[in-house]
Amino acid sequence: MPDGSFERPQQRQFNPYSENGGTILAIAGADFSVIAGDTRQSEGYSIQTRYAPKVFRLTERAVLAVNGFAADGNMFVKKVKQRLEWYRHAHAKDMPLRAIARLIQTMLYAQRFFPYYVYNILGGIEEDGTGAVYSFDPVGSYEREACRAAGAAQSLVQPFLDNQIYFKNQTPAPGTNHPTHLPLPDVLSIVIDSFTSATERHIEVGDGLEIYVVLAKGRSTQELASIGGLQELTTRAEGDRMFVVRRDLKKD
Amino acid sequence: METIDINRLKSGEVNLGTSIMAVQFKDGVVVGADSRTTTGSYIANRVTDKLTHVHDRIYCCRSGSAADTQAIADYVHYYLQLYTQMHGERPPVHTAASVFDKFCYENKDALSAGIIVAGWDKEVGPSVYNIPLGGGLFRQPWAIGGSGSTYVYGYCDATYQEGWGRDETVEFVKHTLALAMSRDGSSGGVIRMCVITEDGVERLFVPGNELPKFWEGKEVLGLPLSTKKAGDEPVPMAIEA
Amino acid sequence: MATASVFCSPGFDFSHEIRNNFLQERGVPLPKATSTGTTIVGCLFKDGIVLGADTRATEGPIVADKNCEKIHYITDSIRCCGAGTAADTEFTTAMISSNMELHALSTGRKPRVVTAMTMLKQYLFRYQGNVGAALVLGGVDATGPHLFTIHPHGSTDKLPYVTMGSGSLAAMAVFEAGWRPNMERADALALVTAAVSAGIFNDLGSGSNVDACVITASHTEMLRNYVRPNERVQKERSYGFRRGTTAWKKEDIRNMVVNEDITFTGAEAMDTS
Repeated sequence: MPDGSFERPQQRQFNPYSENGGTILAIAGADFSVIAGDTRQSEGYSIQTRYAPKVFRLTERAVLAVNGFAADGNMFVKKVKQRLEWYRHAHAKDMPLRAIARLIQTMLYAQRFFPYYVYNILGGIEEDGTGAVYSFDPVGSYEREACRAAGAAQSLVQPFLDNQIYFKNQTPAPGTNHPTHLPLPDVLSIVIDSFTSATERHIEVGDGLEIYVVLAKGRSTQELASIGGLQELTTRAEGDRMFVVRRDLKKD
Repeated sequence: METIDINRLKSGEVNLGTSIMAVQFKDGVVVGADSRTTTGSYIANRVTDKLTHVHDRIYCCRSGSAADTQAIADYVHYYLQLYTQMHGERPPVHTAASVFDKFCYENKDALSAGIIVAGWDKEVGPSVYNIPLGGGLFRQPWAIGGSGSTYVYGYCDATYQEGWGRDETVEFVKHTLALAMSRDGSSGGVIRMCVITEDGVERLFVPGNELPKFWEGKEVLGLPLSTKKAGDEPVPMAIEA
Repeated sequence: MATASVFCSPGFDFSHEIRNNFLQERGVPLPKATSTGTTIVGCLFKDGIVLGADTRATEGPIVADKNCEKIHYITDSIRCCGAGTAADTEFTTAMISSNMELHALSTGRKPRVVTAMTMLKQYLFRYQGNVGAALVLGGVDATGPHLFTIHPHGSTDKLPYVTMGSGSLAAMAVFEAGWRPNMERADALALVTAAVSAGIFNDLGSGSNVDACVITASHTEMLRNYVRPNERVQKERSYGFRRGTTAWKKEDIRNMVVNEDITFTGAEAMDTS
């Protein structure tokens, strides 16, 4: 109104959440798991940092990717790690992947009416040696999947993965079937291409890429030999092995 | 008292959050303004010229919406050119101010403009007119406007005296604007002034690093604390056994 | 029966206004326009003006165009960079360009930059900010080089170096640090490139390439994609699909060739002499 008054009552409220962009994804293979995320953290049109990890090593065989509100994400990872350490002290072993998944569900649902504003994707190796991916919504609903993308560019990446991993909308050549699991080099290529493409078309994706690769115990590392920017994170001999691949993404 | 009602500005509109002033003296008028234009907290222009020529011996000081005041000034400039052609002589300041008032009053729903019109004419010599937010025409010996003006009404009331010459008036304007700019976050930059007399218009400019200085508070950090006595050092808290 | 109105007023068509306001009140959002969340800049140098722009167009957080043109033609020696609603900047500059050509024809003179500026500000003021064009106008005319910014509500500023759009703060920081009076052409072009690059890399709304335009009294040089710091990287895999990947349920081949029998019935052949 011209006199400064308002037609309708106005409500004002403090908003404790913000959205920090970025994208994460994970793909499970037969005996490996790949978990990746970009490293840009933004708010609105501003970049807060070009390197803020969204993917975290939890145990020798479990990796957690968190995306959404960065402050909540970091706090959540901190608390999950604390619970896993307590578990180690109590049981003298690492918590199995499916148990971590259930723990995350409980921790998220505990905040049902003031949720952690984060989408979680847990990847790693199950006790039976198979690659696994668990995806969560902010209040704890979860399921085990073969692949999942989340975050700002989910709507760009997930359809691509559905097509390339699940072979959706692709009819197999006559007399053949689509493979149920892709080999590691193919998965890594698809992950890298997902992020370079998301960087092209989504303004909140870019700067850097971190890909965690978890290999089941006794699996050959031959296929990783040709990958540039590889670093091994394994701390224990004779167990599952973990690697991280760091790549640059476009910075515009 | 004139205030700039922030709610009146359309969202994203460029704002002249301004300190403006005009003072008449024996031979003419002095108009002055800061140079800051803002969009929200961003300074869109730090060397703005808010003293706008509308005729040979008539200037206006603009405050409020940049778009609205520029449009009004353009219309008045056009109208006064027309007036000059039709009457074969310069328009009186009152006429120019009346045209401003007409625009501001008749379109008060759509405009946010606080304007001071000042100049010299052969009818009455120097004169200053204030046209506040919704219109209205008030002749005053001195006028201040814009968001910064609220800080310096007291200074002006206490300082202004009739019968000043050019130099004293220029100093008064310069001091008033410097005080307003130092207190008002929406004002700042440099001081621009115009001295309008029968003979012509003289432009004056005070750079931002040469503004007159007033009391700016004492240095607190690094000074020894006069109240501190020996034995005031922190001691460990006593703990009961 | 009521007769349909055939009256068509010039300018904007407001016939959907009542319906759209009603829909908006019911909570149906209006379609989002392509916005050029942009970095556009301009700077004065010894012999004229350099304009600069990034080339990213966005729809919300999605990149709509990776290499769009934001430096628009007004006249041979006047150009205009546009930020804001893409449709508004394109239409407004095209319309003013057209009117400037007509103005030049009717006056028989090369049109001035202030003329374009006045036309733009009066047009934008008329629409009270609803035409969302934020412009950087630059050029050289008989009175010398001129550089203006024009905000969507119709206010204008005349300055030796200007920036607009979402990347304007990043770009202005570069200008405030590096601009000097009477710069050489090469230095001015480098500064404009640095200013636009600051926007490209630090503002998410801006990206891709740097377009530049150097205008002097004698010559206008449009440097499309003057710097390309964001080339697309090579994909790891090729995504060609095997023939037959897409399933089909029905096949129907039709003969599109038309055969017609013509019987000549005339007694004599036509006289074609």
